[in-house]
Amino acid sequence: MSLQRYRLARVAAVGLMVLGSAVAALAQQAPAQAPMPNMPGMDMRGGIRGTVRNANKAGVPDTIVTAVSATNGAKFEATTDAQGNYSFGALPVGGYNITVVSAGLTAFRRQGVQVTADQNVTLDITLDAASAQQAADTERQVLLEELAELRQRVTDLESSAVLSEPETRVKRVEVFVDQNGNEHDEPVPGAKKAITYRRERVYRRQTINEKVEEAIAAAEEHNVKIGVDAAVMTQYAQRTKGNDEVAPINRHAYGLASADLFFTAGIAQNTIFFADIVALSGTAPNAEIDTLTLLNGYTARLVAQNQLNLREVWLRTELFSNRLALTTGRLDLTNYFDNNAFANDESTQFLADALVNNQMLGLESNGTGVAAEFDPKNGFRAKFGLQQSNDNATNLSESLFTLSEVGYTFTPFSLPEGSYRLWFRTNNASEQILEKAVGVSIDQKLTNAFGLFGRYGTQGFEFDQRDHYWSAGVGVQNRHVFNPQDTWGVGYAETKLFDGQREKLVEGYYNLLLTDRLRMTFNVIHALETPVGGEKYGYLLPGIKIQAAF
Amino acid sequence: MFNSARRILIGTLALAAAGLTGRGTTLDAQGVLVPDPTKVVMIVNRDSNDIGFMDIATHKIIKNVFLGNNVNPHMVMMSPDGRYVVTGGTRANKAFIIDTKTLQLVKVIPVDIAPEHLAFSPDSRWYYQGNPEGDSISVIDMQSLSKVKTIPGFVEPLNVTFTPDGSKAYVGNYGAHWVGVVDVRRHELLKKIQVGSVPSVAKLDPSKYLGEIKGINIAAPSVDGKYLYAADGDLGIVGVIDTREDKVIKTIRVGKDPWRIYMSHDGKYGITPNNGDQTISIIGTKCNCVEATLEAGPNMTGVNYAGGKAYVISSTSGMVYVYDMSSLKSAGRIKVGTNIQLETATTDTEDRKIYLAESTNHEVVIIDSKDNSIERVKNVGLYPWGTHIMDSKDNYCH
Repeated sequence: MSLQRYRLARVAAVGLMVLGSAVAALAQQAPAQAPMPNMPGMDMRGGIRGTVRNANKAGVPDTIVTAVSATNGAKFEATTDAQGNYSFGALPVGGYNITVVSAGLTAFRRQGVQVTADQNVTLDITLDAASAQQAADTERQVLLEELAELRQRVTDLESSAVLSEPETRVKRVEVFVDQNGNEHDEPVPGAKKAITYRRERVYRRQTINEKVEEAIAAAEEHNVKIGVDAAVMTQYAQRTKGNDEVAPINRHAYGLASADLFFTAGIAQNTIFFADIVALSGTAPNAEIDTLTLLNGYTARLVAQNQLNLREVWLRTELFSNRLALTTGRLDLTNYFDNNAFANDESTQFLADALVNNQMLGLESNGTGVAAEFDPKNGFRAKFGLQQSNDNATNLSESLFTLSEVGYTFTPFSLPEGSYRLWFRTNNASEQILEKAVGVSIDQKLTNAFGLFGRYGTQGFEFDQRDHYWSAGVGVQNRHVFNPQDTWGVGYAETKLFDGQREKLVEGYYNLLLTDRLRMTFNVIHALETPVGGEKYGYLLPGIKIQAAF
Repeated sequence: MFNSARRILIGTLALAAAGLTGRGTTLDAQGVLVPDPTKVVMIVNRDSNDIGFMDIATHKIIKNVFLGNNVNPHMVMMSPDGRYVVTGGTRANKAFIIDTKTLQLVKVIPVDIAPEHLAFSPDSRWYYQGNPEGDSISVIDMQSLSKVKTIPGFVEPLNVTFTPDGSKAYVGNYGAHWVGVVDVRRHELLKKIQVGSVPSVAKLDPSKYLGEIKGINIAAPSVDGKYLYAADGDLGIVGVIDTREDKVIKTIRVGKDPWRIYMSHDGKYGITPNNGDQTISIIGTKCNCVEATLEAGPNMTGVNYAGGKAYVISSTSGMVYVYDMSSLKSAGRIKVGTNIQLETATTDTEDRKIYLAESTNHEVVIIDSKDNSIERVKNVGLYPWGTHIMDSKDNYCH
């Protein structure tokens, strides 16, 4: 505050303090003067009290005395006791109109009763012929005002009337049933607690629209929901390295159509049923081109072309306050592990399997199994699953595929969230399949638009005879895109087997959101293969995919 | 200078009032049910058509103020000076005014169609009642307790936010993609701020944009009031509005179908619950960027902050998801119940306890942020829809 302002403020303060003192002094001398108005933030109150008597001077009990503020129409009520006494303990200061209604008629009316701060005004009321006559004089005016209000109300109703009907609903309730079979709402001696269901009256009035919406929502909950994920993709293979001898395929085009139908239904509390039926038709590059990993992730675990394949069917339930989820049935266990945010889904992200799955996770076919996921929702996750891994096996113990994973999601170094996972798997399906593998998977957002991902995995019996796989890349959303919800990414994957085979693969994709249900993806893959003892060869595969999911 | 003098004037008048008090007869406490308006939790009960008042210390219901049959109150709020409690009766098309001290319903004022959310000007003078189905705001003068104007021109107005100086009010239009700016002196709609444009590919999917619209719920202010954050459900963005120029200075992309934004008490973050993908986006107000996107639950209706954590209400799952706001990571979840519906909550002024309305069992669930323990207060009224505490930083509705 400047010096000048300070002086002005001080002068004002002194002046106002004198004014305040004067007001207080005046109030002491003349307590019946006009009340101080309520200032913003100052809620001052006073009272009115008295006795209501009849013409015989006897107290009138159970009579409502009404005080209506002359300032703003605020209406307060008090009821007389057995002796006819009434009290308004805390009325905002100001003028009030006091009325008493008896047998439907205003029997008393007094206007302009002043309430002052922290004071009680005494107003004794006598309900006699004189007071009734006096009240009747003003009654006419009040009735006219009420008539005007009613007209307004009718107008409001005409403009806002909606079709509606009373609402009821059924509730799960806890009751107590005694030895005689009588039901009590509260515990009684000898009664046992039981759960039952009871219709409850709801006093809300719903519009027809609201009821229709509720009915549709309720019906949907009980229906089996069907989802479709259909995609058509074309790829073109251009040889970039090697000759006709080591890589005879060149300038071939491929087309593959995939239809994925899935069904879900809620069948019990926190329990759902899921079935996934897949059909593939057409050709994929790996029918002709020999690469270490699949160039089209849609063909992973393909059983037969032009046939419907039951990929998965399972039940999932959640236990222990929804912290533990159990899934059992025919599973693709790898779906539940290594869920990398930027490289996990061939339908919306990378197409090459080397950038969709960790190649060391293994598993060639789906089978019966169980997956357990412990998720206390604090960033930490633990998963374990096992399943049959060989369609021809005659018992589970000789074809057992297991996966374990621990993961943690957090926001390190002031970056956005990142997920870090470590997994371990075993498989005893056959002599040819390597026994154990271990891997890590990371996805870390750098900004809201850019994120990095990385994977590493290794498998094998001996330390110096291990297969290795790693991949890394970037995923982008919200930035450098044509439309707000488009995504794109670039990734690199390298797979090296202990016998010397090697693949270096790079892919870039752009996923264009046409509508919420329709997407178009452009992608380019380059794979460089090093066979055992052979000459290197490479292919460039541009592709385009149209996907409908709904 | 003016402010200094005004403070002195009010202080002097208060002294004078004290002088009056000193010499008068002592007013009895009869009739005063709420001596301190900061010590009650208000509960809006849709089906019993009343406002419940719960003592914050004892958790006992002081009184349920009945409003009338088929009123269906939606949101309750206390005036900043603590004198009045108001609510809009959605089915009654009326505003209801309750005297806080005596808990008497003192005035019923006809407004426009289906009044729901509301706000007070900082000086407690104006009560703006949003009427989503009337596409208007009713202006109620709290001195005369009367409606002085109906401001037309909105599109499903949900929430109103006043600037700290009370000169302007911002209205979120859920049926459009703009924020309305109201001149509070004249009670007139001055400007429409478009928060974001519909992407060009929308032409391919007209049903999405021509069907139900999920626009802007609220323009939530930053702690200093200089900026507003407005989430748009259909566009999946949060627009940052500079209140000095009333224009969008940045657009932040968040998850799918953000319901609205809830600002943290320290002003560092805002959270959007994204019901389209069941995530939350945590926006840093320093960088005006998304600092984390975390997994959450279905049908989220609100976010409360307490004890350094954010509590996200997942209405139909019966869960409250908890997030540590220092590390910006998940911190577990609280199972309130099964087959229940959670509504909205308020946080006490100590930023410790959360009072959550649970409509199925007609109860208020109190969550202690110290240890995430819960206490249930039963029979608060039928179908509690929301709660409110004076001066709480988490007073909102859905």
